[in-house]
Amino acid sequence: MARKSKKQAEPANAQPIPKPNFGWMGRSNQWGTRVKPGKHGLRLGDLNVGIYGEIPEQWQDQTRNPRGAIPRKGVPPVGYPVRDKADLWADSAADLYEEAIQRRWAPATDIPWKSIKPLNEVSERAVCQVMTELSQYANCDIETISNWQHQMAYGYHEVKQYLATASFDSARMYEAFRKRALCNGGGLGLEAPGYVNRMILESRGGWSEAVTYLLLMRGTFMQTMLRYLEKYAHNEAERAIYGFALEAKARQMSYGLEHLQYSLAHDEERRSVMETLLFIGDRVWARELKDHVLREALAIVFAGGLDKAASEGMQIHKAMMTDCMQSYVDTCAWLGLPRNLEMMPPRITQYLVAARG
Amino acid sequence: MAKFPSVAWFDAVRRVYNADDAYRGAGGGQCNCLMGLKVGRERYLVTFEGEAVTGSWQCSNSELLDADFYLEMPLSVWREMLNNIAENGRATLNYTLNTLDLDREEGLSTSMHGDQYREDLFFRYNQTLQFFFNASARVKTVY
Repeated sequence: MARKSKKQAEPANAQPIPKPNFGWMGRSNQWGTRVKPGKHGLRLGDLNVGIYGEIPEQWQDQTRNPRGAIPRKGVPPVGYPVRDKADLWADSAADLYEEAIQRRWAPATDIPWKSIKPLNEVSERAVCQVMTELSQYANCDIETISNWQHQMAYGYHEVKQYLATASFDSARMYEAFRKRALCNGGGLGLEAPGYVNRMILESRGGWSEAVTYLLLMRGTFMQTMLRYLEKYAHNEAERAIYGFALEAKARQMSYGLEHLQYSLAHDEERRSVMETLLFIGDRVWARELKDHVLREALAIVFAGGLDKAASEGMQIHKAMMTDCMQSYVDTCAWLGLPRNLEMMPPRITQYLVAARG
Repeated sequence: MAKFPSVAWFDAVRRVYNADDAYRGAGGGQCNCLMGLKVGRERYLVTFEGEAVTGSWQCSNSELLDADFYLEMPLSVWREMLNNIAENGRATLNYTLNTLDLDREEGLSTSMHGDQYREDLFFRYNQTLQFFFNASARVKTVY
């Protein structure tokens, strides 16, 4: 069958193609930019040249206009509440974004799942309980980060992009923890009390407030727990899960601590606000620490079973909590927020007081 | 055969590390940091750059200030760790960098500058650093 010519295929009422004027072509705030890839490739941070690298203290544009582009008149504002650099910035964000992509892992194929052998039921229940609570932590990370990410102005795209990877890192953690719970004859255990999750998720005072609770407080706890879990892993699969998760959590902590440091240096009010936040947060954290479920499950994991859980396991748990709380107060001090132990709940300071004899 | 610690030993390990793509897989990847080591009275710096370890040299104590973090243990513990790696092909749980850091009262990783952001590179790159030391399993080590 003969093909119809294009002219024959056009409907009868077709409009003529408008004559292009190409007037947009001469419009650019800075033309002739030639960023060259370095020995590590063409990285996000490398693009910060000329006007494209000008990162203002406040982003006035309320649209999705990419930094450096010419704003179009009449675009309705989207309304980004986080528009001050002091409220989200960390110089490392672009590097952390690249690092997160470079160092990604896939729970489905990168964990040696076959190294997992049956454990006795008590140990399996303990591991599954820890996985249940860790998966909740990871889910809280995802929800918190994604809830704030879309509220951040486009001018600070490095942070928005890094947080996209941070959210995905936590998704991987959630996946891996859940898979570990469901792959060895066990199942999910009891939901965590969730006081700290709620405090993090319901932070309304700004992203820096959320970072204080999500990373400085919960992040320190989770990072310490992952380190101990890696040490007491039952098999190579668990070791890999905790090791990979630890790297991802460390990236999140790097962003969080650098952001808080930046924020404290650029916002006069921040220090007193953070002191108040920590005062409140300590008490919520202490309330959550009253719950014995996670403590007991960890003690069984650390002791390698029930027999020595009450003695050896609880001692290792105490050492973990001491490391965690010491790291927490040390980090606060590094940020310029030295803690007065007498003003902190005994449930937290007990570990520090014991360590100092 | 290479003597630990020495530049020749670090160079031998980094040749193994740089030649094995398995170390670039999950948990590995690009790594950019300057790692210091204190082994007895000797000090070394090792450069991780992208996907390779690009250099190692002996340094003075004050030059450790340039390191993002440095690892410090008595020679006897370094030796135990390397023997464990040689026997198993990789560090087993009691001799991983993470465990050694947890088990030692002063920790394993520290810095002279106290910049927590730089110190945290030990955790961000922990698997890569472990891979590097695991590569020593393929270097005949003498002390």
